[in-house]
Amino acid sequence: MNDTEIYHGKPPLGKRIGAYFAAIPKRFKNFWCSVGRKLKRIPQRIGDRGRYIKNAPKPVKASMGLMGLGQLMQKQIVKGILFLLIFAAYIVYMVLTGGKAMFNFFTLGVVPPNPWLGIKGDNSVVMMLLGTLAFIITGFFIAVHLANIRDAQRTFDFVARGNKTPNFKQSMASMFDKYFYITALVLPVVGVFVFNILPIIFMIFLAFTDYSGQVVLSGALVSWIGFDNFKQLFSVGLMGNTFFKILGWNLLWAIMSTALNYFGGLAIALLLNKKIVKGKKIWRAFPVLAFAVPGFITLLAFKFMFSNQGPINYYIEQLGGTGKLFFGIDSKWSARIIGWLVNAWLSIPSSMLLATGILANLNPDLYEAARIDGASPWTQFIKITLPFVIFATTPVLIGQFMGNFNNFGVFYFLRGGIICDGYFLASDTDLLINWLYSLSIDNKYYSLGAAISIIIFIIAAIISLAVYIKSPSYSKEDMYR
Amino acid sequence: MKKAKKIISIALCGLAALPMIACNGIGLRQKYATQSLAALYEKFDGDLERGTAIKPIVLHVLENDTAKQSGYLKYLLDGFNEKYKDYYITAIDANQDQFSNLADDGPYGYGPDVLYQANDILMKYCAGKHITPLPIEKLDAYDELPELAKNTYTYKYESAEYFMGVGVNVQAPMMYYRKDLLPDDWQTTMDDNENGIPDIAEDMRALYRFGKARHNANKDEYGFMQSLFDPYFSCGYLFTYGAYVFGKNNTDTTDIGFDNGDAKKGAGVILQLAESMNSGCIDDGITVARESEFAKGSYFAVNNTQDMYGTMIDELTKVYNKNGMPIVAAREAAMENIVATPIPSLPASGDLSETEGELLPSIVMGGINGYAISSYTKYPKASLAFLNYATSFEMIVKRNEYLGIAPARKDCNEVCTVQADVAHSLYNMAENKRISIMPTVSGADQIWTPLQTAFTDIATDPYRTGEKQYYTADGKCDYNKLDSLLKSVNENIYNAIYSFGKK
Amino acid sequence: MKISKADKIINKQIKKSRVGRKVTPKKCADYFFTYLALIVIAVIFAFPVLWLILASFSESGSMYTFKGFFPSSYSTETFKKLFTDIEMYNYPRWFGNTLIIAVASAVLGSLLVILTAYVMSRFRFGSRKGIMKTTMVLGMFPSFMAMTAVYLLMTQFNMVDNLWGLVLIYSAGAPMGYLTQKGFFDTISNSMYEAARIDGASNFKVFIRITLPIAMPMIVYTLITSFTWPWSDFILPKLLLKNKDLYTVAVGLMSLGDTEFARFAAGSVFIAVPIIILYFCLVKYMVNGLTAGAVKE
Repeated sequence: MNDTEIYHGKPPLGKRIGAYFAAIPKRFKNFWCSVGRKLKRIPQRIGDRGRYIKNAPKPVKASMGLMGLGQLMQKQIVKGILFLLIFAAYIVYMVLTGGKAMFNFFTLGVVPPNPWLGIKGDNSVVMMLLGTLAFIITGFFIAVHLANIRDAQRTFDFVARGNKTPNFKQSMASMFDKYFYITALVLPVVGVFVFNILPIIFMIFLAFTDYSGQVVLSGALVSWIGFDNFKQLFSVGLMGNTFFKILGWNLLWAIMSTALNYFGGLAIALLLNKKIVKGKKIWRAFPVLAFAVPGFITLLAFKFMFSNQGPINYYIEQLGGTGKLFFGIDSKWSARIIGWLVNAWLSIPSSMLLATGILANLNPDLYEAARIDGASPWTQFIKITLPFVIFATTPVLIGQFMGNFNNFGVFYFLRGGIICDGYFLASDTDLLINWLYSLSIDNKYYSLGAAISIIIFIIAAIISLAVYIKSPSYSKEDMYR
Repeated sequence: MKKAKKIISIALCGLAALPMIACNGIGLRQKYATQSLAALYEKFDGDLERGTAIKPIVLHVLENDTAKQSGYLKYLLDGFNEKYKDYYITAIDANQDQFSNLADDGPYGYGPDVLYQANDILMKYCAGKHITPLPIEKLDAYDELPELAKNTYTYKYESAEYFMGVGVNVQAPMMYYRKDLLPDDWQTTMDDNENGIPDIAEDMRALYRFGKARHNANKDEYGFMQSLFDPYFSCGYLFTYGAYVFGKNNTDTTDIGFDNGDAKKGAGVILQLAESMNSGCIDDGITVARESEFAKGSYFAVNNTQDMYGTMIDELTKVYNKNGMPIVAAREAAMENIVATPIPSLPASGDLSETEGELLPSIVMGGINGYAISSYTKYPKASLAFLNYATSFEMIVKRNEYLGIAPARKDCNEVCTVQADVAHSLYNMAENKRISIMPTVSGADQIWTPLQTAFTDIATDPYRTGEKQYYTADGKCDYNKLDSLLKSVNENIYNAIYSFGKK
Repeated sequence: MKISKADKIINKQIKKSRVGRKVTPKKCADYFFTYLALIVIAVIFAFPVLWLILASFSESGSMYTFKGFFPSSYSTETFKKLFTDIEMYNYPRWFGNTLIIAVASAVLGSLLVILTAYVMSRFRFGSRKGIMKTTMVLGMFPSFMAMTAVYLLMTQFNMVDNLWGLVLIYSAGAPMGYLTQKGFFDTISNSMYEAARIDGASNFKVFIRITLPIAMPMIVYTLITSFTWPWSDFILPKLLLKNKDLYTVAVGLMSLGDTEFARFAAGSVFIAVPIIILYFCLVKYMVNGLTAGAVKE
């Protein structure tokens, strides 16, 4: 056996990359095979469910019909009445507004508004919103109903094993113990659904309507137009060119600024953690001072600092040079570099605070052990600190990447209002989101903006999901337990 | 199992069919499509609404910030409340942003009842019917308005014309210069046509020369200063040479005319002006420092709109006061020494460095601010009463006293006292087509960014460290390149409006 | 108390071993570069803020009258004006409004997000991985497109022009960022919880008694970040607040004219004050970490 065939550790990087790419066709095939298998099993699963429904015990069947009946039949009076009340509330909601809202969602209004005559008319977008809300509420109701059925089944099994039917007090106690996660998650889930998910779903639906330009300005009724917006996007020539140029710059910007901010914050946190530093509170206060002043204010301050007649040019001229045009119409790279530095100034303090918080949980004994083993500080950093911090903050890293990808403020304030040659209504420092803003908000092309957002989102989601699923934060969550 | 499958599949089909049936309310919408506008003015008929002591009628009035700051708004509201106190109608300040958008606020009930804004903003509400047409016969101020004001506020809809707002004041950029910074012998050396007005106020070439001389004598001092990138102020240079915004009297957005006629000469004028200023002309550096540097004397002349007149006076008063003059005398001196005049005439040849030749009277882009009534007001008759009160003879004259605006009403314009010469000039300019009103047709919003980019590009050229773009080899303006720049502006505007199938 | 001979010998030994710990050049260099780096960092971060403070003492409103970084003339007029000239720009009112919103949304939001993060970290239930992937992905939509929907939603709930509408949105949206806190909770070893569970505590009690003390650094971080956000956000308040009396500081400062830069700077400087105060109050909890634990290793 040849010595070179025995690998100690992982094979060299080049070979690994090669193997990764070589395995792609196989992984592709595996993926579709698994999809096929899942699809094939669907009829069988429907059959299973059908049989379950047929053979379910009586209380469970009763619950399927009328929510709460199963509980009542098993002598859980309070629980049963609670579920019945929820059911009644839902019916009342549907009869009063929900059903109409759902119908209006599809028609998007019938009476056009005419403020001159005082006719309020139908507000299409509000109808779309309320319809979506009705669908979400229905979704919640179905979830509660399923929970009800499951609960009835569980109680039935519990009693069948010879125990006493749990009374209300015991059920409540379990909500704070075994099922604490349900109790704790109810409020956050509802809040997030209504204020975050609803707007996003609304925006997705908006991409399939004609809510743009004239329709918005004249307050007319909106109509569903299917995929027309997307067709239009891909057919306008100069747009595609601009899109890819901006996408390239956007990726570069996001990667560099995330790396700069993250490692900068980590470095400062480590520096401040050193034993020889006295008065840690005071030193930490300086970046927090920077963090405390709102971002847009410091952006304006930086804009002024680098402006043509601003302080920095003033000093350059005093020293005998000619003023530089930092954000001028030709200054692509100087504007970009200043953008990176300003963004770092803005984001490093919060990165530093986060790293400090995470590092506080790192067991110092690990460092002692490593020092005794003779590891240098750099090795300690690479092998102990870095994996720990990255493990704890990979979602944050991804979040910061996305935040920087969509960082609207930096170039809006520093260099707004310029169009460059070869770009369709954008400048060479604009990010996709700035371009989106000038296309959609300035002209009120909301539905087109929504369509572009969806495309940006799909690209971003694919990248981040791929990274996140591979990361230890997701796959090896129990690493530090 | 088979039966269940059948039921499920039928249910799914039904669910998919529902959107088809209900989609866009096909058929249902046509029933409500036509709405007759015959009853439009009925809401203004009849007696004035009455409130009660417990529940008075409250009108929200949106005015601009300078009116509030100077105390004019309080004066206006108090007078109106006094007049109509028997009806228990109270008008209060809406206390909202002066640029708030009625289209966003009105339909949901958060907008004002009567609003005062610029004509381009008000006329943009017409498409969404957010402001209501006014009954001309009930408007007290209508007969006194000049043609320009009447045309600006007329809205064509379905082959009928509607009058949407009452013009209050004409606003356009004017040049303001410091009389006390002229050389003592200007009457002999700087008044060629001996009409008592210095040449620099009549001829841009004289101003250009004066500015260059001033700067050569003292590095910190300049002549005429303006942030040239600003399209609102700089468009005028193009208009003077024949450019226009949209064809057919600012209604046809397929015909964009920034390269029309000799507009490239106007671009050349901008280039030469940029040479005589500093790099602050490329961005808003000059605009932000305008009033304070003007007061300090570093800028001899600036162009500005009338609403900033008060600030300029205040700043100059402060400077005089610091140099030892008592406040009252300082203020009088300030009002004496700041002279307003229309933008000086431009040379027909487009070259500011020439010493003689034909002159073209300058055209500027301006607007007429006015009052309008929101369609969502619950008290149309009370709102109309307020509108009439605010646009009455006494109130407009008072407005001029407080704010120095140039009234649109002919009778007020003749008797106004503050900045009377400016008011007369503006009125004459309006009559002589030297003011080009900002377009309000849909798509007008798209002109600003391409224009701003082009002007930034031109203004940057003298300060470029690399190759100059718009100069020929012998240092003169390259009119061909400037012309193609203007053509690309047209193209950018056209793309911005039409790329997404605007109807 | 007399020190015994044995002790004296031991003390001498200790002193001897300490002698070896002289100040070496290497240590000297370490100190020097560390403190140099700290000073440079402090200057970089403090400089723009100090400049803003300097600008707020400028007499002239416009920022282009500065000579380089320094105003050409100084006065304390601006600060007086900031708080007294409230006819047009009611800064004290804006400050109060923002304080209310910041405190309310910090408390509510932090509570919700810590709860969510803890639960997602500790428990294993069916839809968990799905929720993690979904929330990761949902955060990537450009937010201003969702503004239209939020505005319409608020008009339907009649919460426009109302400070509590903002509090509601900030608190309800806070749990979306739970992944940060969850990362922290994942690093806490299970032994603490097991000990408590063996003692018979319910999961709820475990949360209150064990988790909260250990999670102090995270709670502090969450409180500080959620307190700071309403001070700098101006898109949402601009959309939802119509009446000038209800403006937050961010919207109010943006509405100042260009000639009021000194006032703008003064107003901005004051925004930093509550945040710094909060930081100094809470910083001692930030580094206590494991020492608050209840398990003997």
